[in-house]
Amino acid sequence: MSSDTTTGDRISLFSDRHFKYLMIAPGILILLLVGIFPLVYSLVVSFQNITMTEVDTSFHGLLNYKQLFKDARLWQALGHTAFITAIALPLELIFGYLLAQLFLDKMPGRQIFVALLVLPTVLSPIVAGATWRLMFDVRFGPIGQIVNYFAGEPVTLLWTVNPSLVYPAIIICEVWQWTPFMFLLLLAALSNVDQSQLEAAELDGASYWRVLRQIILPAIKPVVAIAVLIRGLDMFRIFDIIWVLTEGGPGSMTETISLYTYVIGFSQFDTSYTAAVAFLVVALLSVIVTIVLRRTELVK
Amino acid sequence: MINRRLLMLGASLAALSPSLAFAQAKNAAEIAVEAAKKYAGTEISIVWEAGLQSLDPLNYSGPKWEKLTGIKVKVVEVPTDQMFTKIIQDFRSGAGAYDALNVIPSWMPDLVKAGALEPLDAFVDQYSYRDELQDIAAAYRDNQMKVGDKIYGFPDDGDVMLLYYRKDIFEDPKMMEEFKAKLGYDLAPPKDWKQFSEIGQFITDKMAPKTYGAGFFRSAPYPQYMYQERFRMEGGKFFDAATMKSTVNSDVGVKVLAAMLADNKFMPPGVEQWNFVDNLANFLQGATAMTISWPPYGRWAAGYGANEEALNWVPKTQVAGKVGYAINPLGRPELGVGFALSVSSASKNKEAAYLFIQWLNSKQTSLERVQLPYTLRDPFRTSHYESAEYRKLWPDAGAYLDTIKLSGEKGLLDLSMLQQDKYDEAMSRSLSSLFAGTDPKAVADDMAAQFDAITEKVGVDKQKEIYAAWAAKPGAYP
Amino acid sequence: MTRFTRRQKKSATLALRYAIAIGVTMIFLFPVYWLFMISFKTPDEIFHVPPIWVPGEIQFNNYWVLFKDGDVVAILNSLIVAGVSSVIAMVFGTFCAYSLARFNTGGENLAMWIISQRMIPPIAVVFPIFLIYVWFGMVDTFAGLILLYTAFNLPYVIWMMRGYIADIPLELEESALVDGCTRWQMLWRVVFPMARSGLMATAVFTFVFAWNDFIFALILTRTDVITFPVQLTHYMGGQSNFWSKIAAMSVLGTLPIFIAVTVMQRYLVRGISLGAVKG
Repeated sequence: MSSDTTTGDRISLFSDRHFKYLMIAPGILILLLVGIFPLVYSLVVSFQNITMTEVDTSFHGLLNYKQLFKDARLWQALGHTAFITAIALPLELIFGYLLAQLFLDKMPGRQIFVALLVLPTVLSPIVAGATWRLMFDVRFGPIGQIVNYFAGEPVTLLWTVNPSLVYPAIIICEVWQWTPFMFLLLLAALSNVDQSQLEAAELDGASYWRVLRQIILPAIKPVVAIAVLIRGLDMFRIFDIIWVLTEGGPGSMTETISLYTYVIGFSQFDTSYTAAVAFLVVALLSVIVTIVLRRTELVK
Repeated sequence: MINRRLLMLGASLAALSPSLAFAQAKNAAEIAVEAAKKYAGTEISIVWEAGLQSLDPLNYSGPKWEKLTGIKVKVVEVPTDQMFTKIIQDFRSGAGAYDALNVIPSWMPDLVKAGALEPLDAFVDQYSYRDELQDIAAAYRDNQMKVGDKIYGFPDDGDVMLLYYRKDIFEDPKMMEEFKAKLGYDLAPPKDWKQFSEIGQFITDKMAPKTYGAGFFRSAPYPQYMYQERFRMEGGKFFDAATMKSTVNSDVGVKVLAAMLADNKFMPPGVEQWNFVDNLANFLQGATAMTISWPPYGRWAAGYGANEEALNWVPKTQVAGKVGYAINPLGRPELGVGFALSVSSASKNKEAAYLFIQWLNSKQTSLERVQLPYTLRDPFRTSHYESAEYRKLWPDAGAYLDTIKLSGEKGLLDLSMLQQDKYDEAMSRSLSSLFAGTDPKAVADDMAAQFDAITEKVGVDKQKEIYAAWAAKPGAYP
Repeated sequence: MTRFTRRQKKSATLALRYAIAIGVTMIFLFPVYWLFMISFKTPDEIFHVPPIWVPGEIQFNNYWVLFKDGDVVAILNSLIVAGVSSVIAMVFGTFCAYSLARFNTGGENLAMWIISQRMIPPIAVVFPIFLIYVWFGMVDTFAGLILLYTAFNLPYVIWMMRGYIADIPLELEESALVDGCTRWQMLWRVVFPMARSGLMATAVFTFVFAWNDFIFALILTRTDVITFPVQLTHYMGGQSNFWSKIAAMSVLGTLPIFIAVTVMQRYLVRGISLGAVKG
C-alpha cells in the first residue's frame, strides 16, 4: 500500500494545493455526518433520562452509566457474544484451513468447487438463518430425519428450544456461512508460501507439524490475523442469524449484545439508557480495534 | 374556512331536521362510504398483524373499500410481538407512515399516554356510530374501547380462548368405561386443570403416538395468555396491591408454572416449538385430542373454507364433525390479545382512516368479515352471535357461537399496565425458558424480579394507581 | 503385492481429494439445495412428515404469489437502495482514495480512522441515527437509507480503492500531466480506466453489503422502502412461518448477488479481506 511519501511529493510538485482536499472533502463530510455526529448526539442523550413516555431532556449525570454496572442482562449478553466468538472463530479457522489444504494443489475443476463453496458466504445472513431454521425443524427438517435414521428410533431434537442445543444450532449456522470466507483467504495465503522452503524441509524429512509450525504458520500469519480481525468484529455484532433462529431465546439465553441493544432501544424505548449502552459498545470496540489494528498487517 | 362553515351549516341543518336524517336511515357502513368518497384517489395505510390476519384487508376488505370509495388501502403487515414497537416508532419518528392501526387493547393506555392514538369521540358523533357500538359484546365494549372516558379504538376481534376436544374420543364407550374405572369420574371436557392433566395423560397412554391427549402452542409470544388465565384462576395475583411488589413467584405462581411444564409430558414430542399454526395442524390432523386456542380453530376444524386457496397451507382437516367446543377448565377463559381499530395521531389523513375503520367495524361489514373463511377475525357483536346466516355455515356452528358468546361473557382481561409491552415480554421470555426446562421456581423468581424492575422504572406510585383501576374491573380477577 | 509407483500414488491421492472435495461441497450446498427445493414444493410437500427430499413436480406457485401480492417490490427497493448508494459511495470514495493514495492526505492516522469507521457495530450507531432521522423526517425514505448505506460503505470503498490506485504505475499519470492534461482529464483518461476492474469489484461488494444489511433497514423502514431481508422476516412470527414464501423470496433475493459475485470471482479474495490479500 502506498504510504511512501516520495511518490506524494513527486506528484504534488505540479499540483495545486487544493486539489487533494477538494477530492477528499465530500467523502469525509459524509463520514463525519453519519459517523461522528450520531456518537456525539448519543453521548448527549446518554446523560439525560428519556424513556418511551417521558421526554425529559434535563441533565441526569451518570445515572445511565451507573445502571450499566447493575444490568445483569447486559453483561450476560456480552458474555454470550464472547462465547459464540470463542467457539465459532477457531472452528471456522480450522475448517477453512483444512479446506484450503484440500484445494491447495492444482486439480482440474478447482475453480468450480471454489465458486460453489463460496455461496454461503455471500448469502444474506437473514437467508442463512431462515435456511437453517428449515434444516433444524423438528418435523419438516432433514436434520432430524437423518438423526432418526442413524439412531434407529425417533429422537426429538429441539434445536431452537433446548438450552443445550441452541448454541450448537447458532454456531453451526455461523460456521457454515463463514468457513468459506476463511477458506478463500487461507487458500490465497497458502498459495504464497515459499515452495522451495517446503521442498527443502521435505528433503530434510521434517515432520508435518514442524513444517506447519516453522514454515507455513509464520508465512500465513499476517493473513490469519486479518481474517480473524474481520470475522471477530463481525461476530461481535452478530444479530441477523440469531434474530431468525432464536430471537435471543429461550428466555434470554442466546441474547447477544446487538440483540439486547435492539430490545432496550427499539422495543422498550429506554432512549437514554440505550445511548449509554451504545457508548459502552463503541468504547469497548475502539480499544479492541486499536490494539488489533496496530498489530496486524492491514495498516503498515 | 369555507369547509368549516359548510360543516357548521351541515351540522345545524341536521340538528334542525332530525327527521331528514332518519328518513334516509343509513347504516354506519353506508354513512362511512358516502363520506369517504371525497377522498377518492388517495391512499391510506393500516397496520395489521402479519400473516393470516392480514388476508382480510388484503383479499377482502381492502379491495372492497377501494371499489366503494376509490380510496386505496395499503396493508402494513407487522408480526405481533413487533406491533407495539413499530407503532410507537412510527409515532415517535413523526413519519406518519401509518394511518389506521390494529391495536392490542392491553397496550392502549400506553399508546394513549404517548399520544399516539387519536381520540375518536368527535368522529363517532359526526358519523353517527354510537348506536352500532352498543351492539359490540360487553366484554369487548367495556374493556377494549376506551382509555379514561374517551374512545380510542373500536373492538374488532372477539378473541377468547376456547377448549376444543375430539367428541369421537370423548364419547367412545370403551374409552369412557375405562376412564371411569381408572379415575372414578366421567370422561368429559375437563372442569379444572387437574382433570385436564388426568384426561390428557389417559388419552396419551391409550392412543399415542397416533393421538396425544392434548397439544398447545408453546412458542412465544402466545403462551403467556394461557399462563395469565391459569395463574389467576388458580388464585394467583400479579402484584401486591399495597407495595406493588410482584407476586408471580408466590406458591401458586410456582405451582402453575410447574404444572404447565409437566403437561408437556403427555403432549406430542416437540410441542415446545409449536406456534399457532403448528398446533392447529396437529389438531386438524388428529394428532391431539384437546387443545385450547382462539375461535378460528373451530371454523377450520369443521372444514369451513377448506377449499379456499388462501388456506391451502393449512392441512386439510381430518376431524370435521368430530370436534366439540367447551369453555376452558375453571370456566373463565382469557380474552387473549384481541384487536381494536384505531387512528394514528400522526396520520396525515385521519378522517379517511377513521371512515375506513368505521366501515370495517360496522355491523354490516364486520358480519361479512367474521365469516371470511380464511381470516382470524372472530365474532364480537351480539348480532354476530345471533346471526342466522352464520349459524348455518356448518352443522355445529350454533354450538360454536354459543360457546364463544359464553366464553366472552366469562372472559378474563389481559393484564394492562403502563408499559405493558415490557411485562408481556418478561412473561414471554420466562415461559420460553420454562419450556426449555428451567426450574419453575427460578423462572418465577426471575419473572418477579423483572416485573419489579419494570414497575420501579415506570414509577411505583403511578403503576399502583393504574393497577388498582385495572384490578377493580370485573374481568381482572375471578 | 507390488509397491505403488509414484504416478499411481499421485492419481490415488487425486481421486481421494476429488472424493473429499465433492463430499464437502455437497455438505456445504445441501442447505441451499433444501431452501431452493422448498421454494418449488406445494404446501403438502413442505409440511410432509418425514420431509420430502425431491419435490414431486416443479411448480412456481410460491413465486407467483410473491408477484401477485406485490411482495417483490421489496426486491426492487433493495435494488434501488443498494444500487444508488453503491454508485454514490464509489464516486466519493474513489476521489477520497485517490487523494489518500497519491497525496497521502491526512497521513496514516486519517486512513486508520477511516477504516475504523467500518468496524463500529451498526447497533451502536443506528440508535442515534434513528433519533436524528426522526428529527429530519428521513425515516422510511429512500434518501435516508441511501445516505446511510453510502456512509456505511465509504470506508470500504476508500480503503479498497486506495490499494487499487496505489497499484497503478505513477509514471502514467505523470506523463499525462506532462502532456498537458488537467488533473480531471488525467483521472478520466488514465486513472479510472487503469483501475477499472478494481472499481467494478469494489462496486459489487459495496452492493452486496448494502443488499444484505438487515439491522439498518429493520429500524429505518416502515412501508415505503422495505428491503428484501426485512420483507423476509415478515413471513416469520408467532402465528406461523410461511416457509413457501420465505424460500421463494430468499431465492429471488439471492440471485442478484450470486450472479454479481460469480462474475467478480477473480476479485473475491481481495474484496472480502479488505484488500489485505491480493489473491
